[in-house]
Amino acid sequence: MKLPIADTATVRAYAAVLMRRHRRPLIGIVVLHTLAATAGLAGPLILGLLVNAVTTGTTTTYINTLVLVGVAAVLTQTVVMRFAQRTSMVFGEEVFAELREEFIEAVTALPLSTVERAGTGDLVARTTNDVNKLQHAVRFGVPRVIVAVVTIVLTVVVCLVIAPLVALAMFVGVPSLLLVTRWYLKRATPGYRRESAAYATLNGTITESVEGARTVDALRLGPRRLARVDADLAEAFAAEKYTLRLRTILFPGIDATFVLAPAAVLLWGGYLASQDLVTVGAVTAIVLYCYQVTGPVWELIFWIDEIQVAAVSLARIVGVQLVDPDREPRDGTPADETIAARDVTYAYREGHNVLHGIDLDLAVGERLAVVGPSGAGKSTLGRMLAGIHPPARGSVAVGGVPLIDLPLRDLRGHVALVTQEHHVFVGSVADNLRLAQVDAPPEALERALRAVDAWDWVQAMPDGLATEVGSGGAPLTPAQAQQIALARLVLLDPHTLVLDEATSLLDPRAARHLERSLSAVLEGRTVVAIAHRLHTAHDADRVAVVDDGRIVEIGAHDDLVAAGGDYAALWHSWQHE
Amino acid sequence: MRSLPLADPGTPPTSGPSALLWWLARRQWGILLVAVLLGVTMFACQAFTPYIVGRAVDDGLSHGFGPELWRACGTLLALGLVVIVTSAIGHRYDIANWLRASFTASQLVGRTVSRSGHAITAELPTGEVVSAVANDALRIGEVYAHAAHFLGSLVAYGVVAALMLRVSVPLGLVVILGLPTVAAALGLLVKPLQRKQAAQREASGRLTTLGADTVSGLRILRGIGGESVFTGRYREQSQTTRRRGVEVAQTQSVLDALQVLLPGMFVVVLIWMGAHLAQAGTLTPGQLVSTYGFAAFLAWPVQNATMMLQATSRAHIGAGKVVKVLRVVPSTGATPAAADAPEPGVRLVDEVSGLVVKPGRVLALVSADPDESARIATRLGRFDDDAERETPVRLGGVLLSDLDKDDVRSRIVVAEATPQLFSGPLGGELDVRGTASRDDLLRVIATADAHDVLDSVPDGLAGELPEKGRSLSGGQRQRVALARALLIDPEILVLVEPTSAVDAHTEARIAVRLTEARRGRTTVLVTASPLVLDHVDEVAFLQDGVVVARGRHEDLLDDVAYRAVVGRLMDEEVMAR
Repeated sequence: MKLPIADTATVRAYAAVLMRRHRRPLIGIVVLHTLAATAGLAGPLILGLLVNAVTTGTTTTYINTLVLVGVAAVLTQTVVMRFAQRTSMVFGEEVFAELREEFIEAVTALPLSTVERAGTGDLVARTTNDVNKLQHAVRFGVPRVIVAVVTIVLTVVVCLVIAPLVALAMFVGVPSLLLVTRWYLKRATPGYRRESAAYATLNGTITESVEGARTVDALRLGPRRLARVDADLAEAFAAEKYTLRLRTILFPGIDATFVLAPAAVLLWGGYLASQDLVTVGAVTAIVLYCYQVTGPVWELIFWIDEIQVAAVSLARIVGVQLVDPDREPRDGTPADETIAARDVTYAYREGHNVLHGIDLDLAVGERLAVVGPSGAGKSTLGRMLAGIHPPARGSVAVGGVPLIDLPLRDLRGHVALVTQEHHVFVGSVADNLRLAQVDAPPEALERALRAVDAWDWVQAMPDGLATEVGSGGAPLTPAQAQQIALARLVLLDPHTLVLDEATSLLDPRAARHLERSLSAVLEGRTVVAIAHRLHTAHDADRVAVVDDGRIVEIGAHDDLVAAGGDYAALWHSWQHE
Repeated sequence: MRSLPLADPGTPPTSGPSALLWWLARRQWGILLVAVLLGVTMFACQAFTPYIVGRAVDDGLSHGFGPELWRACGTLLALGLVVIVTSAIGHRYDIANWLRASFTASQLVGRTVSRSGHAITAELPTGEVVSAVANDALRIGEVYAHAAHFLGSLVAYGVVAALMLRVSVPLGLVVILGLPTVAAALGLLVKPLQRKQAAQREASGRLTTLGADTVSGLRILRGIGGESVFTGRYREQSQTTRRRGVEVAQTQSVLDALQVLLPGMFVVVLIWMGAHLAQAGTLTPGQLVSTYGFAAFLAWPVQNATMMLQATSRAHIGAGKVVKVLRVVPSTGATPAAADAPEPGVRLVDEVSGLVVKPGRVLALVSADPDESARIATRLGRFDDDAERETPVRLGGVLLSDLDKDDVRSRIVVAEATPQLFSGPLGGELDVRGTASRDDLLRVIATADAHDVLDSVPDGLAGELPEKGRSLSGGQRQRVALARALLIDPEILVLVEPTSAVDAHTEARIAVRLTEARRGRTTVLVTASPLVLDHVDEVAFLQDGVVVARGRHEDLLDDVAYRAVVGRLMDEEVMAR
């Protein structure tokens, strides 16, 4: 299952809500930048006046006065610019912080079933790549666009005020400018996205080669990996060539506008001046404005481009907030701690049932081992029993209340699932454990760690429980990470536990030892252990053999062995009897 | 544009970053030269433009609408046309330079990575190697892309200075001396800004890590709680990042303001001087306009010079990091072969443990310490010449380390316990030698009992595996890796714990098919699983790193120590019997 991506309308609506929420600072920013841009327009105007004055004869005082006005304009622009820039950058920081925090909030509230099925890759990409891509656009892009737009508009207005007739000529290149920009912007986003995808693939290839360096060496995959790098580079080159082609059209298109405009103004202005309709100074000023407005126009096009690219990231970020909840808490208090599955059916894909109407009752304090071939539906059954997915048909209930009717907080108190997935969070060992019980005292942590045979190595770490682990901290082996996950479960202490290959990364003997110490602590708790090692089954109260989405055999180990079915055959070959 | 990547990236010097940068420059001197010529032409034309505008004001506007004005406008258009063409073609050459240099650097890193074996991970963190391609190679390219603009800017500066000096010596001197002063002053202010930007980037990097960490462990979080702790942590870091950003804004806004103030004042001073000269009659109005135009234009070359400085320093740092990767010496085969390869069908002997691998037999290696047997099996494949000097292995009496490395790899294949899968079409990833037929593929898939993988990858054999085969379960990955190793079908195949992650049902099936498939071919299996041991020709039992017993599994079971290791029952139960 893929996570949703918001459509354009939703993204626009979201951006509009953000803007509306920050209307006041936005207005402030526009006002400040308008002031700054106004002051910045003084230069050509003063020069125009000077040209007029010099041509017709003037006084030193007049020149000095004009220059002083120029000094005042520069000083004003300096001061206003300082505040305008600061306000807009602070604004960008605030909006972006808000956006990313809202996003993380939405991610951590995703329904259990979505998290289980979507996989972490896509979510991690959205949290890192997309958020970072957006950062540039929101922090710098939005303020820059405001500045560019304000400057362009004011420049045009001033030209129209000085000499509307002359100013008409400056628009000579505008139609072609708009056309070529439109042409470019339509194609640019897919082009640049292809580029970044190509580089991401290249980085992935290198990452794989480095992380799998041993495998590459062992199987003599070097030439293959090399060919892959070259193929990725070739794709990056093709992507670069495409955007380069776009720019080869865009650049001359825009440059032409700014070559044509001043020449046209000069010629047309010259004609008007010869008819005494305008002054030479006015024409001069407008020619200079034509040059001066080049920068802001380029900047605007650049940022529209960037913002377009960022909008795709925003669509993926907003998309996460569109996932519907997979359950609605209803009233009902479980009568007791028994778990009962009735006619549980489930399909990940329409028409491909993974479970076919499973019935199962778990007695309180019972230990059930689930065995069966890969792909038989053991893990899916485990998830149903833990209330992760709502079943397609049938129900799993605790004390008569369907698991999916329970509020999440309560559900965790009843049933918890530990899989072979091992993630160590950035933080201390204690932080990692306290996820399950925020206020757990150190003694409780010790007890939990002892229960999973982890106390010795935790104590041997540089700072014991306070040792920083996770990305950037002390490295833990996958087996140790699994022990931490189990210790967490001990702290959480639900009455029913589902362990899906939860000790598979330990070596067999250590695994068995751990399972024994764990079962001592979990005395009285109901445990469903999905396992690929038969000793787990041997130690359990009952064994369920799952094949092709059905429970084909269920009963005590000895009874099953005596019955002489599948399980017995397996056990005998294992036993070598 | 020449197509990239190049077939042969060449052999670079690894003496230092500067040597690498020069080497790259020399390899692409042709396109560098063209780019620089185009850049110089473009900037020279740009520098002339204000001069022509000034002439137009004097000749055209002041003397009425006539041929002078037409000529001036024509010249402006002609200059503009040259600028348009040289800028568009120049941009293509700049990009060509950038891509050529950075792709070459990426290729070189790719080459090192695919040959190094585990030496690369032993010497450098994965992140640093990936970053050499993801960042450093691109930074290296930038310096070649900026070269043309930089040299063009220098020429433009010279042109403007010469033109100004011709008009008026004092004005010329102000330009020649004033502008570098302004640039230097701005340069000084960049330092504190960069410090704050670095602090902001660091905070933002930590935030990204935190986000990725939360999302990677999201299944755990959603399963047992703790979301609020994590969103709280993220929010806190997000706010810290925002504050760092605000600090950047403080400094940046001051710098922005000064970027208005200093060049603004520079222009005002020039105009003031110019206006007085014009009033005195030594300067025409047109020359006054040119002066203003020059002053406005020169901001650009100064900006280019600053960018070049930054690009050079970044490229130097990047080249340093790339050189660090290129210096990694492969862990095996760094020196040429010293002996001829023995005939096929000879014994492989590990001297320290006394392990003899006889041709044509399927041998299992059992040890109380699974790491120990894995270590011995691994050195049969020769992975690290330095580390394995003390533990000689001989093939037909010849030291493995004396043989040609490729020869060793093609005859002996060691598949380790945690082999890595790579992204790509499933069929292609299985058939790493590219020689297998569809039937061969299906045959090894059957042997490894990996049919379910064909169902779980959309499109089966043609379907794409994601990075590291992440979409598959641990057991599925192991079976795919097993099929891949079987398909290579080497003279000697060593499999370390090939079934550790699969369930007992599957393991039982694999044991039969695997031993059947390798019957008569030299094979070493490291495993303690009775399901597998039952089917091998012979078992070698290790204690304290030495082979203490050899024989068939059922015969060795009489040995208490052996039984304790392979028995599915714990030691105490064995004792109790």
